Amino acid sequence: MQDLLELAVSATASGCIYGLIALAYLLMIRPTGIINFAVGEWAMVAAFGGFILLTKYEWPYPLGMAAVVAFMFVVGWATERVAVRPLVEKGAPPLAPILALLGVLVVTREVISVSFPPDPLPVPFPFGIGRLEFGPVGGSYQSFFIIAVTLAVFAGAWLFFEKTLWGKSFEAVALNRRAAALMGINLSRVTALSFAGGAGAAGLAGLLVSPNISAHYLMGVPLAIQGFTALVIGGVGRVEGALLGGLLLAFAEQLTARYAPIPSGYTQGVPLLFLMIFLLVRPTGLLKARA
Amino acid sequence: MRKLLAGLALAALAVNCHAQQTIKIGVITDRVGVSKPYSEPATEGVVFGADEINRRGGVLGRKIELLIEDDQSRPDISSALARKLVDQGAVFILSVSLSPATQQQQTVTMEAKTPQMTPMNSADYLTTQLDNPYFWQTGPLGSTQIATLLAHARSKNFKRVALITDNSELGQAIAKAFKGTLEKAGIQIVADEVVARGATTAMPQMQKLRAASPEAMFLAGVLTAENVLIFRAYKELGVKFPIHSSYNLSVPIYETVAKGLIDGITFVDAYDPDKEEVKTFVAAYKKGTGKDPQNLHGYGYDGINLVADAIRRAGSTDKEKIREAMQQTNYAGVMGAKGMKYNFPAGKRAGFDPNGMVVRVYEKDRQGRVLHVGQK
Repeated sequence: MQDLLELAVSATASGCIYGLIALAYLLMIRPTGIINFAVGEWAMVAAFGGFILLTKYEWPYPLGMAAVVAFMFVVGWATERVAVRPLVEKGAPPLAPILALLGVLVVTREVISVSFPPDPLPVPFPFGIGRLEFGPVGGSYQSFFIIAVTLAVFAGAWLFFEKTLWGKSFEAVALNRRAAALMGINLSRVTALSFAGGAGAAGLAGLLVSPNISAHYLMGVPLAIQGFTALVIGGVGRVEGALLGGLLLAFAEQLTARYAPIPSGYTQGVPLLFLMIFLLVRPTGLLKARA
Repeated sequence: MRKLLAGLALAALAVNCHAQQTIKIGVITDRVGVSKPYSEPATEGVVFGADEINRRGGVLGRKIELLIEDDQSRPDISSALARKLVDQGAVFILSVSLSPATQQQQTVTMEAKTPQMTPMNSADYLTTQLDNPYFWQTGPLGSTQIATLLAHARSKNFKRVALITDNSELGQAIAKAFKGTLEKAGIQIVADEVVARGATTAMPQMQKLRAASPEAMFLAGVLTAENVLIFRAYKELGVKFPIHSSYNLSVPIYETVAKGLIDGITFVDAYDPDKEEVKTFVAAYKKGTGKDPQNLHGYGYDGINLVADAIRRAGSTDKEKIREAMQQTNYAGVMGAKGMKYNFPAGKRAGFDPNGMVVRVYEKDRQGRVLHVGQK
């Protein structure tokens, strides 16, 4: 029983990371229909930002964290202006921005790869290395920190979409771009903000996971795949679907690795299996968009 | 105008003559792929070694010219680069990329009869799967690593151990070598776990290990980030069995990324900081570059010096003569235990002495003393 409870904390923390990456995808897909696989590389950029500000220059954690997330907003906004908007304005087919963003993925990774030393770089824990216990439930400080920050982000995102006029304008664009434009909604601004928000969410995921896995130039692609799988499971229709998908994926991964009577190496296929099952059986994901 | 053209022609001729005078050595490395953390320092060691040789007058009175190519650890690109280097006139190719890439290069060097050597790859199959008389391997083999670790652990009289690795090709190859040697020694493997590349935790795997109650854990993984996850889960779960690791823990990066997690871990290494050759190399490297070298720099440094030694003894840049000289190597380098010399026994092309590895221990987050030498 103790194992299961320990694993629940660990899986929830991992699920939160996947959920944040899925949220990054979702923020961009909903209003634009563009799948941006560079989200993993954005997470990597934020992890390196954490290394520079928190490890190298030893900024206070809250300040460093805020600076990195703010920087990621700028990165997302700039990516939209440079790689997406020119193509949309020229009437390029929908696949063009997706391919351009794959280019961004490659360029980002290569730039980081040649700009930093080859070894993984340390990013500090905000509360150090330690274990927190609530009765039989126990986990690392970082696991609980990841869970708390992620819940706050998802609560904020939910409130934004449900309770604010800005959020409603995002939803309107997601439902019908042309009608939204006719109603006076600035499509360019919504698109730019969706990319900025996506980069912020992905960057936060990278920053939160980096104390555990370090900042390294190959960390982006696995995160992008896990986040995409979480998105497919949860569905692109609702914000809470991203978190649900992330949690389900992480629990499936970790419970299989711990309890399934199969060789450990085979458990790596679990995310892929989930991805295939959902694409075949329920391509809209678990949660559908509200009518 | 005529004078100017004549001058340019003379200059071009001079440059051409200079180029002809150099001895071209190809280097295939990885600058952006999975092997970059190992390949980059090893390549720096090659470059430093070549500069040192050139400062001392070169080889056979000619300077060494390195032709460095990046294969991203991709076997498909690697063989094309080997062909390019052969076409550019390289008389020797040093492979400091991933083992599968090095293996693929052999398809070219065997056909082109061009000497090739890897000073750092550890996969056992590199000199056994292909009968390529133009290829040598001087990095310590995976099987040598586990045999050395086991020799050290023998005094503990383990009966039940756990094995953990990652899903990289090299991690799997080393785990296979570990497993074979452990089973041969009659030691039961009570848990055999894999942490996937890109994982965000190793908690489930470490829980399984804890439940299996091994007397020790053998770590065969080579991915730094995933190994750190293993140490973190080990610490968080408060398990106490000792950890014996592959040479991957000999990379000093763990002193920073796994701070507070590694004390007491023993690891196999091919580098003894108390060895005279190491002290000389460290002092020279620091003086030359202003940086502290790692053991990985030593692999590259030994590699280029072994090549230079073979060409010197061959007395020529004829590839066949270099091949013959290389096979007769008897050279003491930076890597290996005190007194170790690289040589290739008759019919063998793996030149790292099976008794040349050492077992060291992490003490206060630093790579510490040598606990054991060789397989006895």
